[in-house]
Amino acid sequence: MNTFFYNDTQFLIEKCDDSWNLSRVLSDGSFAAVGAGLFKGLLLDEAQLRSQELVKAIYPVGIKVIGPDVAHPGRVGDLRIIGPNVSHPNFIYWNKDSSSLVR
Amino acid sequence: MEIKSSVFLVTGGTSGIGETVARYFAAQGARVAVVGRRQEAIDRVVSSIKQTGGEVIGIQGNVTSEADTAKFVRATVAAFGQLNVAVCAAGIISDGTMLTLDKETGKVSRKLSYDKWQNVIDGDLTGTFLTLRDAAEAMVNGHWEGLLVPISSVNKIGQIGQLNYSSAKAAVALMPKIIVGEFMLRGIKNIRCVGVAPGYTATPMLTGMNQEALQAILADVHLGRLIDANEIAALIGHCVVNSALNATTIEITGGLCNAGGIAK
Repeated sequence: MNTFFYNDTQFLIEKCDDSWNLSRVLSDGSFAAVGAGLFKGLLLDEAQLRSQELVKAIYPVGIKVIGPDVAHPGRVGDLRIIGPNVSHPNFIYWNKDSSSLVR
Repeated sequence: MEIKSSVFLVTGGTSGIGETVARYFAAQGARVAVVGRRQEAIDRVVSSIKQTGGEVIGIQGNVTSEADTAKFVRATVAAFGQLNVAVCAAGIISDGTMLTLDKETGKVSRKLSYDKWQNVIDGDLTGTFLTLRDAAEAMVNGHWEGLLVPISSVNKIGQIGQLNYSSAKAAVALMPKIIVGEFMLRGIKNIRCVGVAPGYTATPMLTGMNQEALQAILADVHLGRLIDANEIAALIGHCVVNSALNATTIEITGGLCNAGGIAK
């Protein structure tokens, strides 16, 4: 049984026959499944590297704001208010999209 | 395309048709990425596939979020190195007639709310679009053979009380023709698109309903029973291996008829 941290979250990687099971350790000590039967035939170091790539893809962190969105200014009288381009796929709605957050 | 060497992405993979599809292909040796909104359900499906020796990842995500669809496609490729089949089984129902009248006055007492309309359009139509778009992007850029499977419904022909759902499913049923036409236009040869439009299926929602109402539904089904989600999975499996199937939406209903035996 081996663990690694990503974004202050602990992940557990366990060998099962010739493949690996990966889980996320929750704050109460229980586990959430990330994957099973992964990375067949790989040794621990390689499997751990692949696991880190995988958790980075599943649990992206940080806010990437693309903008300003000059095509859609908000108008108050003659004033044009330009905000970020929230239609870009990398924009994460932190207040609504809780599934994008690790915890 | 072979099932065993393929990588499947299944949205709505933690319940109903999607869960069955995920289990079905994992049992056949495919590698499967299961997308669902609740982690407990993901844990259950991943654990169950793990018991049978399958290769699976579970990703918490919402198909109506562009950030999430990009995320679960990226995660699938990170885990398995490719993506071959995207099954868009995520969907919701929120029924109601457009107008409800007050029995006493005959005037409109209630309208189908904007939220009730938009939630179903977001989940069933926009979610399918985003998933197919991002999956197709990965397949084109990765040069992998691919199949896109939007899940429509037999209610695409128009079901009373489902203006939102039927509108979404009618639009989804059109997607294969448009998408494959655009692939022709752009010279994309490695991806097919085949929609599946199930009839009344034995999911907990239907099997748990009032049994008299269920019998009334089955009276119009030539087969005399609900179709099994495994039968839908088998149809998708046939679409995977038979490359002549393309640019169409296939109904699987057990022979659903209008009263009097006229096929719907």
